[in-house]
Amino acid sequence: MADLGVMALLLGLALSAYSAIGAIIGEKIGMAALVVSARRALYMTTVTAIVASGALINAFVQNDFSIAYVADHSNTLMDRAFVWVAFYAGNEGSLLYILLALSVISAISVWFAPKRLARSMPWTIAILAIIQLFYFGVLAFVASPFELLATVPLEGRGINPLLTPPGMFSHPPLLMGGLIGVTIPFAFVSGALIAGNYGDDWIDVARVSAIITWGVLGTGMLLGAWWAYTILGWGGYWAWDPIENVALMPWLVMTAFIHSIMVQKRRGMFRMWNVALLNIAFVLAQLGMFINRGGPVVSVHSFAASTLGTIFLLFMMVSLVFAFALFLWRMPQLKSDRAMESFVSREASFLINNFLFLAVMGVTLWGVLFPVFSDLARDVSVSVSAPYFDRVNGPVLLGIVVMMGIGPLLPWRKTSARSMKQWFVWPIIVGLITIGILVALGIQRPVAIFSFGVLAFVATAIGEEWWRGTAARHRSGDNWALAWWRLVNGNRPRHGGYIVHISILMLALGIIGTNFYQQRTNGSLALGESLVIDSYRIEYVDTFDSSRPDRIAQWAEMTVYQIDPDDYKQEISFAKAQGSSGFTLKDSTLRPNDELIDTIEPWHGFYIDFNMASVRSGIRSTVVEDLYVIPRDFLADGRVSLAVSINPLAWWLWVSGPFFIIGTMVALWPQAAVERRPARKRLKGESEGEL
Amino acid sequence: MASRLSFVAVEQRALPASPVTAIFAALLLSLLFALSGCIKESDITLEQRAHQLAGELMCPVCNGQTIDGSSAQIAVDMRLKVRDLLDEGSTNAEVRDYFVLRYGQDILAAPERSGFSLLAWIVPVIIVLGGIGIALLSIKSMRKSGLEAQPVGGISAVANQKQNDLSDYLAQVDRHLSVGSGIKSDEPNESGDAPASEKAKS
Repeated sequence: MADLGVMALLLGLALSAYSAIGAIIGEKIGMAALVVSARRALYMTTVTAIVASGALINAFVQNDFSIAYVADHSNTLMDRAFVWVAFYAGNEGSLLYILLALSVISAISVWFAPKRLARSMPWTIAILAIIQLFYFGVLAFVASPFELLATVPLEGRGINPLLTPPGMFSHPPLLMGGLIGVTIPFAFVSGALIAGNYGDDWIDVARVSAIITWGVLGTGMLLGAWWAYTILGWGGYWAWDPIENVALMPWLVMTAFIHSIMVQKRRGMFRMWNVALLNIAFVLAQLGMFINRGGPVVSVHSFAASTLGTIFLLFMMVSLVFAFALFLWRMPQLKSDRAMESFVSREASFLINNFLFLAVMGVTLWGVLFPVFSDLARDVSVSVSAPYFDRVNGPVLLGIVVMMGIGPLLPWRKTSARSMKQWFVWPIIVGLITIGILVALGIQRPVAIFSFGVLAFVATAIGEEWWRGTAARHRSGDNWALAWWRLVNGNRPRHGGYIVHISILMLALGIIGTNFYQQRTNGSLALGESLVIDSYRIEYVDTFDSSRPDRIAQWAEMTVYQIDPDDYKQEISFAKAQGSSGFTLKDSTLRPNDELIDTIEPWHGFYIDFNMASVRSGIRSTVVEDLYVIPRDFLADGRVSLAVSINPLAWWLWVSGPFFIIGTMVALWPQAAVERRPARKRLKGESEGEL
Repeated sequence: MASRLSFVAVEQRALPASPVTAIFAALLLSLLFALSGCIKESDITLEQRAHQLAGELMCPVCNGQTIDGSSAQIAVDMRLKVRDLLDEGSTNAEVRDYFVLRYGQDILAAPERSGFSLLAWIVPVIIVLGGIGIALLSIKSMRKSGLEAQPVGGISAVANQKQNDLSDYLAQVDRHLSVGSGIKSDEPNESGDAPASEKAKS
């Protein structure tokens, strides 16, 4: 198997080199046949990448521990399904996975590239081939996953226990695929620029590939957050860890891009800007690869740490120089077709939104690099972590949410005061009323209350637009559901965007709730004892062992009661005096108003070989709040030590995911498939939303 | 030209003083008043503060985790120490100082706001303000240059010309429609959009 893999990699290396050189020379000397063969060579690299990946996966399936990578990342005890996870569980394998993803999407995008891009295709192929060449080279010579061991061990080391939850089947592949996917729009646009194809032929292919990549990357990050929340057992979901940040940064820039590309599509503006955004996103994705593979910062995500830092740093530098040299060279040809007419127009608001996204990106980059900078400048190491990023990025992110309410309501070109009034009165009223109600309810924390008001403002703005469009169609005879459906269908990119905006609002709701209102208490319970926090009583009723040869593991069964604080007045005031948010009860007798609402089963496992603990939190999730029980440890005396928190609105974080995916797909769905409405109805409907 | 409506023009046509604006103003004022009442955070327990502080201290032996999130023994001990210090009546700043003294600056999850580390806090402000400034400036310059500059490129110039013609036509349509049915003319639609306007024609 190892031989096959090595051969496939070497063949891929040769093919991608041939493809790059062939495409360039063929284009230069005008030999079409050579370009065609370069294109076919690019398809063939995909085959070699698939063969190499297949060889590695097969080695895992057959427990071929003569291969070092297999011995390091699997064992015979492992559930066979995790072969797929083990494939990308370490440095070499994840590089091979990235190459696989890159070569497959390269082939697909080149295959389906529109005919009118024919002139720039040789350059696009060359760029894709060169990037593949880099990965083939690294895999073949520097970090081969097919390295053999001198003595074959009887048993492998096993898979990293943190990678065994089901989310790991999709989170890493989506994230890595999304990061490398930025290459595709970059290659198409750069190819067009080299070829001197300055028109807007590349808009659609860049937009579609960018949205796919952006959606994949976004989904990957959400899954990662979900995994952290349910598995990692630290009670959070986003830590502003360097590795998270380097995935977030290209995503932010791509978000800016998929907005401003619409301006180019509709209004022929922002060409230069869009090219610059793609360049930045591509270089940031390379930065992500570099930081991931042995960069200069510490991270919790040390799965792929390696000594490849220098190589990836070099590759990032080359990308940076190439992208911006090309940009500067072609800049004079990238002028806008027409001028900005007003500060109060959709294109102006998109530009401001773009700069806000870039600001968050810039600030995040600064935060990631500041420790390095501090080390170099004065030899003092500092840490830059969540408290910093929350503080500096929070306000800007809120600003972006505000723009999300304003931008879509503004028409292209310019706005009259009258239309401003018509469109913004209701959102502002609802926003203010929301703030008023929250204050009246005695809710604390002004910043959060203001943020909730902003969310209500944006939600109303979207609702208003849907309402008016749907009502207009309803008047022309459709029933409500059909009217809304036709409204959405009439302009999918826009209404898909609204669905994504709604998912972002949900996400924001969860982020604000958990960041500002989380309550936490610690305690340890023996069987029969209970812990009380807020209006919950958690009783530890049973425990059972689930140890296996590689781990010591235990489940706890806990029943959750909803309590009436009046029953517990004494204990509550005692706990308050102690400064505690919760308290424990020794006896298991229930108070009159205790009501059984749920049973949760937190789990704690310790993996001996890895010297690593993994937990599964017990979560009771409702729309309003999550009760979140982390089993910190099962102690020798039979007690379990717990960290219990109440995470308000956390449910919304995970509901946002499906909306995000659906919205992205609606925006992507080819517009050509839109059903044609009868002309009679169209005349009436036309002056409404679609126009 | 009527279509060269600018921001200034919008300002001049600001909302007239109507009952609606008065109600708005009153609502806003009462809200500000109410908000000022809930700024002080009354019942934060010591445990809550300890939890918060734990999120601001790095775990010395884990990669990039705070002691709040780590289950390493040292993190457990440090959490207990934080709580002890708070029980003794220490302020948050004193707790932080206690750990900085023993573990060095990098025990703090966010850099201090003094000396060299102040840079970490100032640069983001510059980035954000600079970004917004550049955005506004470039909108301004795009408006100016566009008034004189001719469209670039052969085909797109034609398309552009066509679109401009259509947009004048559309403006006219809008005016007619707004006479008939109130809101329609000012809807946030893509009125400068050639394909849609062609549909409207048909």
